[in-house]
Parts: sequence; structure tokens; C-alpha cells
Amino acid sequence: MFRVPLNQMAALILVSLVVGIITNSIRSDGISFFAKEIEVAEDINDVSGEPVAITLTQAKELFDQGVIFIDARDDEYFADGHIKNAWNSGFFMELMFRLDSLQSRNDPVVVYCSDDECGSSEELAYDLFNEGFNKLMVFQGGWIEWTGIGYPIE
Amino acid sequence: MNSNLKNMIVLGCRLILGIMFIYASLDKIAHPEEFAKQIGYYKALPFGLENTVAIILPWSELIIGLCFLVGIFVDGATLLSIIMMIVFILMISQAMLRGIDITCGCFKVSAEGEKLGLNTILRDIIFLAMSFVVLNRQERKFEFLPKYD
Repeated sequence: MFRVPLNQMAALILVSLVVGIITNSIRSDGISFFAKEIEVAEDINDVSGEPVAITLTQAKELFDQGVIFIDARDDEYFADGHIKNAWNSGFFMELMFRLDSLQSRNDPVVVYCSDDECGSSEELAYDLFNEGFNKLMVFQGGWIEWTGIGYPIE
Repeated sequence: MNSNLKNMIVLGCRLILGIMFIYASLDKIAHPEEFAKQIGYYKALPFGLENTVAIILPWSELIIGLCFLVGIFVDGATLLSIIMMIVFILMISQAMLRGIDITCGCFKVSAEGEKLGLNTILRDIIFLAMSFVVLNRQERKFEFLPKYD
């Protein structure tokens, strides 16, 4: 029966499934079978720990407070236009150095990319979180939502 | 081309693919949560399925790699390798076309991972070609299961 390549393939998939599920259930850092969406912040002044998502209204409020915005898109998109005063994410180490030189790791930072269909802002937020930053907010509506309503850009 | 040379080429492809798959699986098996997030950043899977993939895919890679190296179920491993490479190429291409600026998650799932780029796609195309070389082999040298004699 295993001379048929498709049967071999099915067997390999089955073994992977069984081993994957069993090891995941017994290891201490196992994960749930389905991922949860990033949580939306209820109160933007009370954020700490894992990155949270924020709405356009919350993003504007933070923008008006002068919170640092980081653009997680590629350089060329940033050069074409970005939220006023936002930073280009650039090199990760440089970005951390720049943030550390201006504020503590408990101070708020907003990260955004094009819209909720791009993962770059979440990736950057979790990378910063792993480095000890713990007031990270992901503005999921991003560039498209911000420009759609005509908020300040440059 | 004489058959000895052909066999050597097939064996070379098996070795490279085997080592590549095993190497690619290790960091993912060690860090399932980070790997799941990395898949999520591609924004291509519905219903939170990135976790399901992160639980199973690294083990498939490890098992396929071992099959290539040891010479067990080479046909099945080759078919899976071809399917995986095609899926990876499609996933990377859609992310690049949509301008999603993320790290690959191909070998390392940490922040130091490589950025997506044309070289990532080119590399997967080379692995795909190597898989076809193995698939189209005429002789089964250094293969132990199943027995064809």
C-alpha cells in the first residue's frame, strides 16, 4: 500500500498531525488550536503588557497628546506619505535606541501600517514587546483609515 | 548523462532538501507561539488557523527532512515538499504584492529573521526544482522503505 506516493504522503501528514497535536498538548508552552484576534483597548490610558489594538478615534486622541507614531510599512510607502510626525520603522536596533533616548519603555507608542490587512504593525509591536516595551498600541485602520477621514499627514 | 552521475545528483538534492527541512523546523518547534504570530502577519489565513498550522507544519517539515535523509517514503516526502514550496511561494508573493513588510518566518521566527524579498521566492523555486529532480529519478539508490524489489 505504501508503494503509492499519495498513500505515503497521507501517512506523513497523519504522523505530523498526531505528533504535532500530542506534543502541543503536553508541552507547557503549547498554544490554542485557533488564534485569537489582538484585543481592542478599552481605555487607552490603562494599557500595559501585550500590544492592544486601537480605533481611529483613540488613535487621533493619542496623536493629539503627542504620542509617538511609528510607520511599519516599507520605506517607499513611508516616503510617499505618512501620518504627521510619524517615524519610519527603519532598522529595529536604531528604532529602539531612538525610542529609549526620548522616553521610557512604559510610555505609549502607536504602531500602524496600511490597514488591518497588513501584518507589519503587529509584527513590529510584538518585536518591541519582546524587548520590554509595554505600552504598545496597534492602530489597525492604519494609513487608509487615517487618510480617509483627512487627518494630518505629511 | 550516466546513471551514476544522475544518482549522485538525486542524492545531493535529497541531502540538501533534508538538511534544509530539518533546519527550518527546529526554531519553529521550539517557539510555536512566535511562529503562529509570524504566519498571522501574512494575513492570508481565516479563523485563526495560523495556530493550527503552527502546531502541525514544523513537525511535517522535520519528518519530511528525515525521510529525505534516511531514504524512507521518499516519494511521499517529495510530493509534500512540492506542495509546500508552491504554497510558500504563493504566500510570500501575495504578501509582497500587498506591500506587507514583514520578516519571512522561513528559518528563524525571531525579530532577526530575514525580510521577505525576491531572493526568498527564488530560493523556494530552487528547492521546488530540486524536489522535481528527486520526483523524476529513475533509480532508487539509498532508499529503504518501501521495498520495490
